Amino acid sequence: MGGKVTCTLGEVKNRADFIVYWGGNPAECHPRHFTKYTIMQKSRFLPRGRKDRTMVLVDIRETKSVKAADIFLQVRPGKDFELITVLRAMIKDQPVDDSAIAEIGLQRSDLEDLVARMKRAKFGVMFFGMGLSMTRGKHMNSAALLTLAAEMNAFTKFVAMPMRGHGNVTGADVVMRWQTGYPFGVSYHRGYPRYNPGEFSTVDVLVRGDTDCVFVLGADPGATMPQPAIEHLKRVPTIVLDPHVTHTSRLANVHITTAPAGIAAAGTAYRMDEIALPLRPAIDSPYPSDFEVVRRIHEAIRQKPDWRVRSPWIERQLDAAH
Amino acid sequence: MTNTPKSPELRVIDHATCTFCGCVCDDIKLHTDGNRVHKAERACVLGKAWFLNHTAERAYPDAIVDGREASLDEAIEVAAELLYQADMPLIYGLSNTTCEAQRECVALADAISGIVDSHTSL
Repeated sequence: MGGKVTCTLGEVKNRADFIVYWGGNPAECHPRHFTKYTIMQKSRFLPRGRKDRTMVLVDIRETKSVKAADIFLQVRPGKDFELITVLRAMIKDQPVDDSAIAEIGLQRSDLEDLVARMKRAKFGVMFFGMGLSMTRGKHMNSAALLTLAAEMNAFTKFVAMPMRGHGNVTGADVVMRWQTGYPFGVSYHRGYPRYNPGEFSTVDVLVRGDTDCVFVLGADPGATMPQPAIEHLKRVPTIVLDPHVTHTSRLANVHITTAPAGIAAAGTAYRMDEIALPLRPAIDSPYPSDFEVVRRIHEAIRQKPDWRVRSPWIERQLDAAH
Repeated sequence: MTNTPKSPELRVIDHATCTFCGCVCDDIKLHTDGNRVHKAERACVLGKAWFLNHTAERAYPDAIVDGREASLDEAIEVAAELLYQADMPLIYGLSNTTCEAQRECVALADAISGIVDSHTSL
């Protein structure tokens, strides 16, 4: 998600007086988010801490995070995109039909109040979780929310940030953007990177049966993916790197035990706001790191003859380079 | 599996980084003897479970190839051959690992003309 209107958590901590959590449950999934970065911190610009901040929670059901919120908006399941679209219209004072608001399951007065508060804020931030980005509409929901954040800047400072789970998944986005120009779902079949979610995204590739060998690390698709995808994983040779023997390891041809990153293996990880942080391992693992194993597999492949078919243009470039 | 006894010398690691969730808190104080973490100060419930549940114990074989225990060297050879022979290899995951390993995975995808993809696409 390069190009999004965002900021660091440090800026949120110091400046954000209006905080929206959308489709997420930070109280249980990111327990220190409230206290370290968002609602509880006192700062130069918000000296009274929690009293200087307003928190809104948008979700389809009451979670433990509701207790921390000033305002809870319960949106009808699958209607997040509609709500964002209505808000985008309302901030610009465009007319919104009653039926559009009824469909979302909220009152017009709730939305008018929300829009007024958003505009009054000095620094607004919207954190969105998987309840928004992995339900009906998926990345279109995220895109709509990022657009809403961008459009709010006509009135006041407003930003948005995804609530990333799974440790260093942000790092994967950043590293792939740096190395290939794209954040995920990148194919090198033609010898240069191409990006096309839906074509090169893992679930789709597996369900279509488009791959004949899978290399998995830092994930357990055998436990989390839809059944047709797992069926294909069972059919093709699979290699797994993991600190534990996982569900995927059990259906793989090769499992290699590696040291857990951040606990026994050193390196770098990215926080959800794309800040790089060093890892300080505390345990002396008997196993090698992921980096070491991938490097050695790469090295072993490099020893084999290169079979790749290249276009005459690329051949000429390579000749010129030598 | 046998334990690997290490010197029971206690160390305190200040500003350790927790990679359990996307917050990546970097203010954790770890008390460790090299075999396991005894205490993870300032970590949340999820972070405590994350740090305290990993040990330096050899709980699993170095590698498993086709259902039998194998050496690391053998497993690397087999993995390299499988990826080399594949027409359309896929590299997936990259969440619970370091940026250094992620970078190496992209290089590997380039070398074998494969796909590289992360949890983000789910």
